[in-house]
Amino acid sequence: MAPVHHFLYLGAFLFSTGLIVIITKRNTIMVLLGLELMLNASNLNLVAFNSLHPGSLQGQMFALFVIVVAVCEAAVGLAIVLRVYRQYRTSVPDHVNELNQ
Amino acid sequence: MQSFAEKLQSTATSFGGFVPELVLSAGIVIIVVAGLIARKQPVWTALLCALVFLASLLFELTYWNAYATPRGLFSNMLRSDSFSAYLRIIIDISGLLTVFMTTRDPKPLRFHAEYYALLATVILGAHLLVMSQSLAMVFLSLEMISLSSYVLAGFSFSRHGTEGSLKYFLFGSVSSAAMLYGFSFLYGLTGTLDFSAPEFARQLIEHPSPLFFVAAAFALAGFFFKIAAAPLHPWVPDVYEAAPTPVVAFFAVVPKLAGLGVLARFTLVLQAGGHAIFDWQLVLCAVAILSLTVGNFSALWQKNAKRLMGYSSVAQSGFLLVGIAAFLPQGIHYLLFYASAYAVGSFIVFLYLHYFERLGFSSLESFAGTGRVWLWPSVFLLIGFISLTGLPPTGGFTGKLFIFTSLWDAYQLSGKSIVLWLMIFGLLNTVVSLFYYLRIPFFAFVRNGKHVATTNNLTFENLLGLLLVVGILFLFFNPGLLMGWINKINFAL
Repeated sequence: MAPVHHFLYLGAFLFSTGLIVIITKRNTIMVLLGLELMLNASNLNLVAFNSLHPGSLQGQMFALFVIVVAVCEAAVGLAIVLRVYRQYRTSVPDHVNELNQ
Repeated sequence: MQSFAEKLQSTATSFGGFVPELVLSAGIVIIVVAGLIARKQPVWTALLCALVFLASLLFELTYWNAYATPRGLFSNMLRSDSFSAYLRIIIDISGLLTVFMTTRDPKPLRFHAEYYALLATVILGAHLLVMSQSLAMVFLSLEMISLSSYVLAGFSFSRHGTEGSLKYFLFGSVSSAAMLYGFSFLYGLTGTLDFSAPEFARQLIEHPSPLFFVAAAFALAGFFFKIAAAPLHPWVPDVYEAAPTPVVAFFAVVPKLAGLGVLARFTLVLQAGGHAIFDWQLVLCAVAILSLTVGNFSALWQKNAKRLMGYSSVAQSGFLLVGIAAFLPQGIHYLLFYASAYAVGSFIVFLYLHYFERLGFSSLESFAGTGRVWLWPSVFLLIGFISLTGLPPTGGFTGKLFIFTSLWDAYQLSGKSIVLWLMIFGLLNTVVSLFYYLRIPFFAFVRNGKHVATTNNLTFENLLGLLLVVGILFLFFNPGLLMGWINKINFAL
């Protein structure tokens, strides 16, 4: 089995990729994709760390819950994007700024 | 290792300390079903929702004495104690007030069953958040609040409402993802998700690594987002401007107090009685100073009343953080007192902003001359603003006096210059806040307007407002009554 720190490197890579996608991509759909990467980086960490503490399954259980929450978050996010698209005919957050004017 | 039967037994006994939350969970299901039957009668779902909150509140009060001895529920996922019970009582009352405010809207509420079910979900999430002592529970309940709030923020069904909802979602989801990443490292470094467990604190002290600082800072980002503190505040004004006013009043109190409750527990563990190698007091003081300054100075330039309240909410988070940043037991007691005064003051202001918004006043200039025509609403609004500023004779003054006293004690004990700076910034910002809080009353009473409408003083708002105003004046003239109750709360972990 590969040592734990390899998984942590992969997790850190996924997390930073997700963050970069969120910051640089202008479309909300891409932001949602980046978000999934960030959440899955944490999942990977949790499962990898669980192998260091073999007495319990806390990390793996937490990862299962995170997967469910991520699905809910994506569902709510897509619903909001759909509403924004209906009203503004765009899904780019930068073009949706009528407040504060 | 416990046997399966023992675990089952402990889960069964845990339900005894979990009754208000069970009531809320059942209530959410019932509201959704009732919405299918009473499609066109929002009155019924509103009544049902109010009953659910009232039942939860009554259960909190009846169990109050039982909460005095803290105990862990569901294998230490949750903790039932009087600190969380006090916050849950404020949260339930805020829920009730929000339902009352919503029913006063003359426009028929679209998707009313969903609206009340989401309100109840946020209340349930807030209950769980103040009780949670496991990182997993913190994440789940925080997401429970957030996901429902994103939807509630868009309930005005307008272009602006949708925009506010989108911004709330983008900020919230990214900060909770960062928080989760922090949690994963905290779990890896300590080997437990239970942050109140002794080994969590022991690992924190014995193995000081810079990774701890990074992980805990990521974790705190999620909390700071939830309480609308400064580096994570840009969503606040947009959401406050665009969301329906009852929802804004709700956001200003419920998620903020829930976030503060868990933040107080979490930072106490991080600080580890002063043995931690990183000075978390410094971090909290810096965030408080930033929130106070950014919130107050941005509020000075606002023209929209609700947007102004958004920045005011950021500044109030700074004041509330002062209570935690003192890291003293009495600081937590005073925080609870200030939080109560803040909740009452904030609801008075939003109740009347909602009242005037229905009459068509939303920008600050439009309030010109309203004080002559709508005398009592304007006077009550003025008292609400005075309480938020922290001037006598209101509970806001007493609360601010208390938290700054505890901060001064903390300075005497530690002698850290950042604590003194927080004190100076806090007092200066109180003066700054005077300028924007009193702008609406200034327009209302000093400027002349052209309103000729005659009004009925015996409205539901004035009755409820009178009750709240009496409450906030009572907190000033007799703070001992509430403080005596709060002082019985034991905040040791």
